[in-house]
Amino acid sequence: MVVVELKPFNEILKLISPYKKVTVLGCEIGSGRCMQGGLREAKEIAQFLENNGKEITEVLTIGGTCLIEKVRKLEFKETDVIISLACGAGTQVVAEETEIPVVTGVSTLFIGADCHREVFYEYCIACGDCIISETAGICPIARCPKSLKNSPCGGAINGMCEVNNDTECVWFTIERKLKKLKQPFRIGEPTFIDFSRSNHPRRFKNEL
Amino acid sequence: MSFSEKINNGKFIITAEVAPPRGTYYQTIIEGIKPLKGYVDGFNVTDNQRSMVRASSIAMSRVLLENGFEPICQFTARDRNRIALQSDLLGAYILGIKNICLMTGDFTTLGDEKGAKPVFDVDSLLMLKIVKTLEEGHLINGKELKGKPSFNVGAVFNPFAGPEKLQIEKLRKKVELGAKFIQTQPVYDIETAKRTHEIIKETGAIPIIGLLPIKSLKMANFIKKLNPKSVPDKFIEKLASAKDPHTYGWEYTLEIAHGIAEFGRGIHFMLVGKTYELAKFIDYLKNESPYNHKF
Ligand code: SF4
Ligand code: SF4
Repeated sequence: MVVVELKPFNEILKLISPYKKVTVLGCEIGSGRCMQGGLREAKEIAQFLENNGKEITEVLTIGGTCLIEKVRKLEFKETDVIISLACGAGTQVVAEETEIPVVTGVSTLFIGADCHREVFYEYCIACGDCIISETAGICPIARCPKSLKNSPCGGAINGMCEVNNDTECVWFTIERKLKKLKQPFRIGEPTFIDFSRSNHPRRFKNEL
Repeated sequence: MSFSEKINNGKFIITAEVAPPRGTYYQTIIEGIKPLKGYVDGFNVTDNQRSMVRASSIAMSRVLLENGFEPICQFTARDRNRIALQSDLLGAYILGIKNICLMTGDFTTLGDEKGAKPVFDVDSLLMLKIVKTLEEGHLINGKELKGKPSFNVGAVFNPFAGPEKLQIEKLRKKVELGAKFIQTQPVYDIETAKRTHEIIKETGAIPIIGLLPIKSLKMANFIKKLNPKSVPDKFIEKLASAKDPHTYGWEYTLEIAHGIAEFGRGIHFMLVGKTYELAKFIDYLKNESPYNHKF
């Protein structure tokens, strides 16, 4: 899922300062799941804005905001601005599909794993050439700050990453898991990551 | 005898570290290392160490050459993609820089430009592979070179990093890919020095054991925090009760250096200051110590 973070309400208020009538649109997929922009947060924001002199036209959600056919079915009531709480992708779909100004109430953080809705970990940076079958299903491209795919750096301190001392060096995690799986790990001929596969903007086309 | 001749002839090697200036004024740095001329075999010129901006290691290496010192130019993967790295390696060679030492590098956020975009397009193994490819006469994309470089290549090893098995295997790979000498992170006791020496020797490379004299209890605790297994408690206790911790730390370092001269192949002094004292000690090792035949 895409992990997002709600902006401080005061910041959102500033973003919409030129406008009077406001629509707040939540997203239930990523934003709702991390409790940073579902219907509940949409209502909280609406309440806050109302207390600060704004007129709330509507508070709503359509489930997944990055699904274009759902967004196209939306008919907004008369409003000056839409605050979208979806990730960057979802918010852009909304902005593209309407003539009303759209601002975002969240910052999109990363593709992450959801641990009991409490902690979210970045697990994938969409490198475009997944190699985790070779690393016990654990991604060193995303989970090592240096994206070291061939072997660990020499910086781990007591098994913790030199960059974040509250996070295990991913190569320790990989090694432990491989041991458990009784799979040997050999450092083979080092290979380059093909960054041309993650050059953005990317496009993916399904043959329908 | 040059640094690379010493490497090839099995002589004992002494290297020291020199950081390029934060600015353009390099003359004092050259003055500072003059006492070590003729004593130290090669000077590791650091490449924005700890992710803090300094003048380029290539430029500083060239200045060292012009002043009669032998540089070992460090290259990190942190700031260069494969285009810049190949270009800089070729450029360094054109400038007469023959000794290079390759490493991944510290992460950007550990330095003082925390907002910089970290590159890490390649890692230390791939850096070695790139050098090997250039030396074979082509770029990694296969295009042929007009004139190929030939380097004396080194790499690094941290005896305190893990996972141990992977680190050792990685070290082996580095040597397989052309690393002739291996310089280590500083060690603080002779047992670690010996063990590290053996691990590296086994791969077929020349071990050059790192030593960083400790100047104060604060510094000792700082290093211990970075690497809890590195600084022995006994040393810390003695340092705490020493009248002059600076001198005690220095003598302690020399004691380890002495021990390494007995069984080892090389020492890498990561020191700042104390150049006269170091020159005196090296003079003793080379001329009066029981191991003087090794030099
Ligand atoms: S290897 Fe690439 S695609 Fe696979 S999990 Fe890691 S970043 Fe994502
Ligand atoms: S310590 Fe481990 S996770 Fe951290 S940068 Fe080094 S290899 Fe990557």
